[in-house]
Amino acid sequence: MIAANNTSYLARIKPGWKFGALLVLSIALYLITNWTVLLALFIFSAAILLSARVDFKQLRLPLISITIILGVVFILLGLQTDWLNALRSVLRLLTMCLLAYAVSLTTKFEAMLELFQQVASPVRFIGGNPAQIALALSMTIRFIPELKKVYTEVREAQHARGLANNPLAVTVPLVIRSLKIADETAEALDARGYDSEPAKRRF
Amino acid sequence: MELPSIRLENVFVRYDNRDVLRQISIDLDEKRIGIIGANGAGKSTLSRLLNGLVLPTEGTVHIGELNTREHAKQIRRQVGFVFQNPANQIIMPIVSDDIAFGLKNLSLPKNERQVRVAQTLGELNISHLADRETHTLSGGEQQMVALASVLAMRPQTVVFDEPTTMLDLRNRLAFQKEIAKLSQRAIVVTHDLEILEDFERVLVVTDGTIAFDGPPAEAIAHYRQWSHA
Repeated sequence: MIAANNTSYLARIKPGWKFGALLVLSIALYLITNWTVLLALFIFSAAILLSARVDFKQLRLPLISITIILGVVFILLGLQTDWLNALRSVLRLLTMCLLAYAVSLTTKFEAMLELFQQVASPVRFIGGNPAQIALALSMTIRFIPELKKVYTEVREAQHARGLANNPLAVTVPLVIRSLKIADETAEALDARGYDSEPAKRRF
Repeated sequence: MELPSIRLENVFVRYDNRDVLRQISIDLDEKRIGIIGANGAGKSTLSRLLNGLVLPTEGTVHIGELNTREHAKQIRRQVGFVFQNPANQIIMPIVSDDIAFGLKNLSLPKNERQVRVAQTLGELNISHLADRETHTLSGGEQQMVALASVLAMRPQTVVFDEPTTMLDLRNRLAFQKEIAKLSQRAIVVTHDLEILEDFERVLVVTDGTIAFDGPPAEAIAHYRQWSHA
């Protein structure tokens, strides 16, 4: 999920602080074993998310998916260990997810990329280019929906021609079309003046 | 705005020993130039020569004093390119970030980028799209964002490769209006002959050569005649 134009108090906090706090809290959650404290933290994370003025329409589907997954985790853990332990694990995971949503939905994508680039800056010492890594990350996020669209088109075309589920028949056109997209996007990068030389880049 | 002359001298482009373009020598000085021709005639290759996306196998392409072979980077700042499929041209997941992408490549400071993005979106009346995720845009909106991302870089010339092919009538007309409003030189490769009515010059490309070069009405008549032959 990518942040729209969020104007809450969380959006005004620097991304580095938010992601740093998220990391510290996530680690701390695993050090806490008292379920009432975990429940309090879960309520706190829900309050944070509710106060962050995020678009709940955007959150509906992921929250339903997480509830289902964690429901399964709760039952399996409960059966294998004990129910209190299962409750603790689910509370930890739910708290982390809600806090992660609150952070990601109140941080602009550009700001996240800049932070990522700063965090990845040590890769320069081993000859890497953080700007290129950040661009690759943003393009991955950008093109996942496009590839999903291509997949749907390929499946529809095959269904229309009476072909049942056949992984190979899907993979080949999907790969070919993905390569074509990659080719055209590379051309667009060139046309828009992208220069991959690290020393001259200010991404 | 003073527009640099575009000069192609004795240009050949070959792929796999096949001449895609043959002995093209032209000067392009007009502000509105159309390129038409059948599929596979060499129109897209010709358009890609103009900002160095394709380099000639023989001959030279100059934009003003700059040669595409030696000054590709500078030329791409002067000559913007709008592709047929905007979905593959949009690089970033958020509209405003995508428009800022080219400006980062120009090393503009952040505050200047923000001003330029807002200005360009305003000029194209698409400010409301600034925070949208690019994959949620309609085809027409994507094409406008692709145009905005090119115009934000303030090029002197914009080359369009079949920009209206994937658009419905409403979006096609809206896009046509935006092309007409541009202060830049526009070179448009198209199958949409209506776009060319107000253009100053139209080139008809056939089998890798320029078969006709003249005013739109005559060029379109020539193309129709060729198509019926």
